[in-house]
Amino acid sequence: MRTLLTVAAFAAGVSALGTEVQAQECTTKIGATLPTSVDWGRPIAEVAQFAVDQVNEAGGAAGCQIEMVLRDTQVDPKVGVDAAKALVDLEGVNVLLGAVSSGVSMPILTSVTVPGGVMQMSCCSSSTAFTKLSEDGKTNGLWFRTFATTAVQSAMGAKVATDKGYKKVAVLYKNDDWGQDMARLIAADFAAAGIEVTSSVAINDAQPSYRAEVTEAIGGQPDALYLALYPNEGTSAVREWLSLGGTQNMILANSLKSDEFRDNVGLQYLGNALGTDTASPRVASADAFKAAYVEKFGSEPNGPGLANSFDAAMIALLAMEAAGKDASGADIAAAVAKVTDPSGTPITADTAGFSTAKDTLAGGGTVKYQGATGDVRFDANGDVSAPAVVWKFTDSGTEEVEYLSLTDVDAFIASLKK
Amino acid sequence: MIGVVSYLVFFTTVAAILGIAVLGLNLQWGNTGLFNGGVVASFGAGAYGTLILGGAPQDGQLGGFSLFYPLALAGGMIAAGVLAWIVGKLTLRLRHDYLAIATFGVAVAFENVMRNATGLTGGAQGIRGFERPFRDMLGDGFTYNAVFLVFVLLILVAVYVFLERLTVSPFGRLLRAIREDETAARSLGKAPDRVRLISFVTGSVIIGLGGGLYGTFYAFVSPQDVLPILTFQIWAMLIVGGAGNTRGALAGAFLIWGAWTFSGWALSRFAPIEAQLYTGSIQFVLIGLVIVGMLLWRPQGLFPERLIVSQPGQNREKTQAEGFT
Repeated sequence: MRTLLTVAAFAAGVSALGTEVQAQECTTKIGATLPTSVDWGRPIAEVAQFAVDQVNEAGGAAGCQIEMVLRDTQVDPKVGVDAAKALVDLEGVNVLLGAVSSGVSMPILTSVTVPGGVMQMSCCSSSTAFTKLSEDGKTNGLWFRTFATTAVQSAMGAKVATDKGYKKVAVLYKNDDWGQDMARLIAADFAAAGIEVTSSVAINDAQPSYRAEVTEAIGGQPDALYLALYPNEGTSAVREWLSLGGTQNMILANSLKSDEFRDNVGLQYLGNALGTDTASPRVASADAFKAAYVEKFGSEPNGPGLANSFDAAMIALLAMEAAGKDASGADIAAAVAKVTDPSGTPITADTAGFSTAKDTLAGGGTVKYQGATGDVRFDANGDVSAPAVVWKFTDSGTEEVEYLSLTDVDAFIASLKK
Repeated sequence: MIGVVSYLVFFTTVAAILGIAVLGLNLQWGNTGLFNGGVVASFGAGAYGTLILGGAPQDGQLGGFSLFYPLALAGGMIAAGVLAWIVGKLTLRLRHDYLAIATFGVAVAFENVMRNATGLTGGAQGIRGFERPFRDMLGDGFTYNAVFLVFVLLILVAVYVFLERLTVSPFGRLLRAIREDETAARSLGKAPDRVRLISFVTGSVIIGLGGGLYGTFYAFVSPQDVLPILTFQIWAMLIVGGAGNTRGALAGAFLIWGAWTFSGWALSRFAPIEAQLYTGSIQFVLIGLVIVGMLLWRPQGLFPERLIVSQPGQNREKTQAEGFT
């Protein structure tokens, strides 16, 4: 009996020791389903991992080091859903980052994360279908995205056109959910601003030539061209547009904010091209992100979705910290409000900021995350609005032309609605 | 542990759904020799048909008839069948690679129509808001998935038995006769055109059934689900499993889908941290290697076609009774 007691006491001692060690060295897994087999998808995953690394430097979230398990979606809904399911069931993640394409994020949401009670935070899915799904009450508050809905983008497009005095604009849009949303919204915004849309033409991926589409767009003799395209198709379409004598007055969506597009079209043709984006707000953390990114990767964060991916990972981890140890996906989702509280303590998006957040949250306070895309604030549907910026291409990348704070953006959107 | 079971249920469901589609293709290619390059059009017609008929109403969108589920699923199958009948009427005069190109074109056109016919299909955003049948009763979690798996497996077994019986029947023999030598079949008084059309439509209806189940399981379908990659995946399953062999077709579905997903899981778990970013590309290479390896070293597939010869002397009376069709 005594031996038994000794053994039991010894076992208890060992297990107590074990938990102590565990508190120092445990790891919590989070999942990421991103299209890493696609050229523009890899940097999005890299930057998410970069956020995780910084949090780990600050001692991890909720007392544990964070391991991000990354799975490729191949931009194939079946593969993405299976990867998400494997992450939830086999790796036991409570937080899932991704996906990029709305057509992949949506089935993950409806068949994996919502039934499994896992928080899903996407960097880049922009379809308005998510807002509708949330309004129908089918996301259980588990869905967030750091990509400002297309509404901000299109409103800024209308603002640029108004400021430049364009009267007739042709629209070329990528023929997917994002592009169709953009085309619909920009048509409405241009109409509200008194600008005529001469034609709105869909551009399908990977065509050898866009001559037919471009000819159709040029037919209405517009004095400017609005482009909601990705770099590959954007390059081909713009080349044809210019070779057919189209105007160099262009308005670009943020998806074209890429060095590849600038180099392939040629800077000399992009002098009158103005882009819109939702990044680079006037807070120190955005500059810090930029500087940290340049230091880490050796180039400016110019690809689509990078700042958003960084913020998605950071906010998810902050929420994990706020929700505490062993929190469920729903708890973590509920804690997002605590870390994006407009009246909370402002924190920066880096190791130091995360440490500050830890202290504040431990003391029962709330924090205001000031991220790479600005002060991120989610509405009831998990959508964000954001400050906007108008930019143009330069030799070394892009340069800002005009900055609009969140208030300016909201005011302009309100003026369109009148 | 429950996680592993839950994942396996999920995996088996998807593999079984794809298996049904592979069985449909096997009837067309394995048994009749019809090179259908537009598998995804039938699959998509089934999925869209089911969700449009069975889904909840959406603003500015046709459909949302909230039909009783079996009716919706049957509607999806009929949609796939009607599409196949039209396509078959137009293209089945073509042979081999010409037929493949024509049907591939149909599939690309189908995807583009789905992407642009916003009023019918929700455009690029797809159809969402489908209420999965019996969700109220079973909830959304593991129980639902388990019950749905049983349902899919029952359908799979039914399709399997149907095709197995069809293959050994006189009609199955006729299909193979047409596959091997159409002129000879014609000289025996058969009507190859009609039989090819029947086989094509039947196969497409089965593929459409797979599509309908797929849409039901995800409660969502968008043009991204009907890209040519799916045609390629289903073909890879059939080739690896063994064209002409029902069991092989099924094994191929599980094997290829398993390899497709398991390679991703294994790489995410075992690849060194620096290589994690490249696992997506490595995965593609691995899948390609498996398929190329199969074609090089075992082109007949894992389960080659079993030749069923009606020899005189054995089962003679039976053969005669059936008539030598």
